[in-house]
Amino acid sequence: MRIVVGIKWVPNTQAVRFDPKTGTLIRQGVPAIVNPHDFPAVELALRLRDAYGGEVIAVSMAPPPAIQGLEHVIGMGVDRAVLLTDRVFAGADTLATSYVLYHGIRRIEKEIGKVDVAVFGQETIDSSTAHIGAQVASWLGWPYVYYVKNAKLDGDRLVVTRQLEDAVEEIAVELPAVISVAMRALKPRPVTLKNKMRAKVEKPIIVWSNKDLGLDPRCVGLKGSPTIVAKVTYLPEVPRKKLVYKPKDPKDAARWILKNLFLDEKTGPLLRKVLWGDSGA
Amino acid sequence: MSITGKFDVVVVGAGPAGSAAAYILAKAGFKVLVVERGRGAGSKELFGGKVYAQPLRDIWPDLDKSAPIHRWVTKERFSLVVGERVLTVEYSSPRPVGFTTYLPELAKWMADKAVEAGALLIDEVRVDEIVVKDGRVIGVRSGGDLVEADVVVDAEGVNRLLLEKLGLVERLDPKHIALGVKEVLRTGKGVIEEKLGLGKDEGMAWMVAGDITAGIPGGGFIYTMKDMISIGLVLHVGKAVEAAEKGLLREHVSLLLEKFRLHPYFKRIWGEADIMEYGGHLTIEGGLGLVPKKLAINGLVVVGDAAGLLLNTGYTVRGVDFAATSGRLAAEAIIEAFNNGGPSEENLRVYEDKLKSSFVWRELVRHRGIERVMSDPLFFTKLPRLLIGVMKRLYEADYEEPTILDAFIESTSEEDISLARLLFKLGSVVGKL
Repeated sequence: MRIVVGIKWVPNTQAVRFDPKTGTLIRQGVPAIVNPHDFPAVELALRLRDAYGGEVIAVSMAPPPAIQGLEHVIGMGVDRAVLLTDRVFAGADTLATSYVLYHGIRRIEKEIGKVDVAVFGQETIDSSTAHIGAQVASWLGWPYVYYVKNAKLDGDRLVVTRQLEDAVEEIAVELPAVISVAMRALKPRPVTLKNKMRAKVEKPIIVWSNKDLGLDPRCVGLKGSPTIVAKVTYLPEVPRKKLVYKPKDPKDAARWILKNLFLDEKTGPLLRKVLWGDSGA
Repeated sequence: MSITGKFDVVVVGAGPAGSAAAYILAKAGFKVLVVERGRGAGSKELFGGKVYAQPLRDIWPDLDKSAPIHRWVTKERFSLVVGERVLTVEYSSPRPVGFTTYLPELAKWMADKAVEAGALLIDEVRVDEIVVKDGRVIGVRSGGDLVEADVVVDAEGVNRLLLEKLGLVERLDPKHIALGVKEVLRTGKGVIEEKLGLGKDEGMAWMVAGDITAGIPGGGFIYTMKDMISIGLVLHVGKAVEAAEKGLLREHVSLLLEKFRLHPYFKRIWGEADIMEYGGHLTIEGGLGLVPKKLAINGLVVVGDAAGLLLNTGYTVRGVDFAATSGRLAAEAIIEAFNNGGPSEENLRVYEDKLKSSFVWRELVRHRGIERVMSDPLFFTKLPRLLIGVMKRLYEADYEEPTILDAFIESTSEEDISLARLLFKLGSVVGKL
């Protein structure tokens, strides 16, 4: 079977800081990574291939540095990768992204061969919409199953185990289909030396720009994105006071906390608000 | 290049030693594979902040133009600290021999040079074993993958798990290693240049000794980066463990570093600057204690920290230039070995000869025993107290100050130091400093 797995190249949100003046993300100098929630999807794709043969193709819409991330998943055992990259794809919301991915998958079918399953992660760490799997399925007109923790082939159907909050569900779905794998559902396999060498030396990564896909520029990137970000709010960073106090008597500790945190003019109102919804009066 | 064939050389670890070796070998036309555990070369590196430039220029002549140099060190300071009292000596020179940098940046630059020269760098992969067959090293194993090579260069760093497995070294003994912890403070260029009296691109290396290490042998450091200041502590692991077991040390090492950062004399420089990074790394305590019995066997050479090559005299630290030089010498020996019939143990031991006649070895031998000096309480605890005591008597008199001799005698008796013993000890170590 031929399995496509979606990869998003995201800023490492643990290293991202907010600019307190503009309220925007400071992405400069923040290393990008493969969206961690995509790894269980890669793992499931590889398990399906290992069990039933065929190939796994990673697909990503991203700027060229994402090749590093695609090399990483090839290092895990993915057979090859497709990078969809073009300046006109920049600034896309989920609709415009899924549209490009849909055409990427269609082109894979045309150039390489029929795709049986498209696998995505549950969501991304930088936007957490969980839209892409569902949207790509809609464009393709394929059935969509999400919160998947495992899958196996039964004749020409895929039997999918779904992880629900208080139950595990098993359903059979006709192929081709799109599935999204639940976060932490499967432990991803490590990168191996030979696979990573293959990624670097044989470079099994195909790059397609919009010249290859030929999409209407009004349907991709910022122009093709109807989503409007009305406002960004965030909790301002509280400057740490960097105090250490180690009393022997707990009473002293309580007094110290009262004085330094609750009665402090900066941290006091904030703490009271968080704890008791007190407006600080 | 194919991935199935054999390599001439596999280098384990893309630090300064491994990348120097890979660069020289690749440039000479060797088929070289470098395997690095971290994500990208340099990501696992950590050091204080200063690198000696000339040994690096011998390998990369374009160092000054293209390396990530933050500031050239024109000022060296050394301070003794007892409580809030501090004695500082400063040396200023127009001829800097070292520069400050972040090791991840420098190591990445070195690895890029090796890749440009034709080496294949594979990151995010751990080497599990150096493989020996019929008495010679034949390659490395990672998971289920075996990659064969004529020579393996072990540049795995201070924690030598591969060499341990091979039986070439003993398990790391805490008495030979130190723990370095470091914070990077965002001060801005202005603060660095104004408060420390530095010009544009001029930097400072500042070593600190005294009670900032809470009685554990070791010391502190301060290095100026472009627009940040790195501060840190280096603590003797063996003695720290002893002190913790005896209940003498109760605080986490991060709190010791916090105290150093908040020390009023030093805090004046960086104020409330944000802490951008906190990191820790093992390092070599110094001396020849960690050098393996053999640095070359049939099909294997050992370089850098893995070879135990680091010098810490208390007033300066050298590791990166030693590592890179050992990598260069190993590469030169490998090239000669190939020209002389192959990488047999006999041919590869030329590396040992080269290393032992290099400045690296001469420096290590010259300062041999320094780690014993540095872990002697007389030197790292009593001597600072004695000297601060003398200064206190000379400069804190309201009416009458003693003569220097009287101040000295009073101070020695207060600290319960036998002057004769001190002079004897000083005499015995002065040749090693």
